[in-house]
Amino acid sequence: MKYFFPILLVLGAGLAASADLKPIDESGYARFVASSKGKVLVVNFWATWCSPCRKEMPELVALAAKYRARGLEFATVAIDEESDRKAVAEFLDKTKVPPPTFIKNFQNDEKFIGLVDSRWSGGLPFTVVYDRSGRKAHVFPGEVNLKELEAVILKLL
Amino acid sequence: MTTFATFAAALLMLGAPGKVESIKATDLDGKPVEIQTAGKITTVIFISTQCPISNDYNERMKALYNEFNPRGVQFVFLNSNSTESSADAAEHARKHGFPFRVLKDPNNVEADRFAAEFTPHVYVIGKNSEIIYRGAIDDSRPADKVTKTYLKDVLNAAIEGKPLPVTETKAFGCTIKRVKKST
Repeated sequence: MKYFFPILLVLGAGLAASADLKPIDESGYARFVASSKGKVLVVNFWATWCSPCRKEMPELVALAAKYRARGLEFATVAIDEESDRKAVAEFLDKTKVPPPTFIKNFQNDEKFIGLVDSRWSGGLPFTVVYDRSGRKAHVFPGEVNLKELEAVILKLL
Repeated sequence: MTTFATFAAALLMLGAPGKVESIKATDLDGKPVEIQTAGKITTVIFISTQCPISNDYNERMKALYNEFNPRGVQFVFLNSNSTESSADAAEHARKHGFPFRVLKDPNNVEADRFAAEFTPHVYVIGKNSEIIYRGAIDDSRPADKVTKTYLKDVLNAAIEGKPLPVTETKAFGCTIKRVKKST
């Protein structure tokens, strides 16, 4: 019994990520950002085919856990096709990425990219930080500089 | 130095230079190649051997080359990834039956000059050497969901001397793996 509970916890953490993988489109993204008002929100755009994305994810997850209690919300949007859902879920489980986790469900990539940030070229990874009022405070094109991200988060919390 | 770095970063944010008179690269045997753009419509596509997005466009790139090269469009397929060797690029080209040659961009010099960020990333240069289009090949990674054929439409318009339907688009792609440079 002593070992059963931790095993359940591990399994539970894994199930949580993939079970909560939700499709997101342009309007859904705007609604999600609006619903996160009151928290500092970090959104990371990644893909299973993007090696820098996979590399930085564990550090982002750790940073998110560090500040969650102080009001930080960390969300991920997988820029994979629906046919890659299984691979996305497996990575999220393996990396213990907490929900909210999303997978792209929009027809027009360009429209979505423009909605998220006009400066975004479409290259991945891409990370956006919103302040507690839902305003975009900072963007990180490419791999995140963790120290810089942490400084931005601390300033906003 | 900081000011210069900031200025360089600002230039990168602004995008590619307006005019590209020649493109310098190496062939897959390491020999220098210089391609002049004056008087020709030139399509430059940054590609990768490993990126699944770039690879999903292999057949479409072949089709575009086969359609537009005979109509006078010059194509430059550049591999700027520091993580992919000339041998990798040669094997990749052979495996996929590319009808075009692929060039290496050592130290990602051309990728930096164009401010190309990912693969596939497309630039079309007009006969006057001005960049007339930058962005995506089309609007969908899965070929069966394409609704807008940006590059094809731009090339048709440029050949026929008509107004371009679009001059800039965005799409998702793998980041170009640049060499690490000391600052």
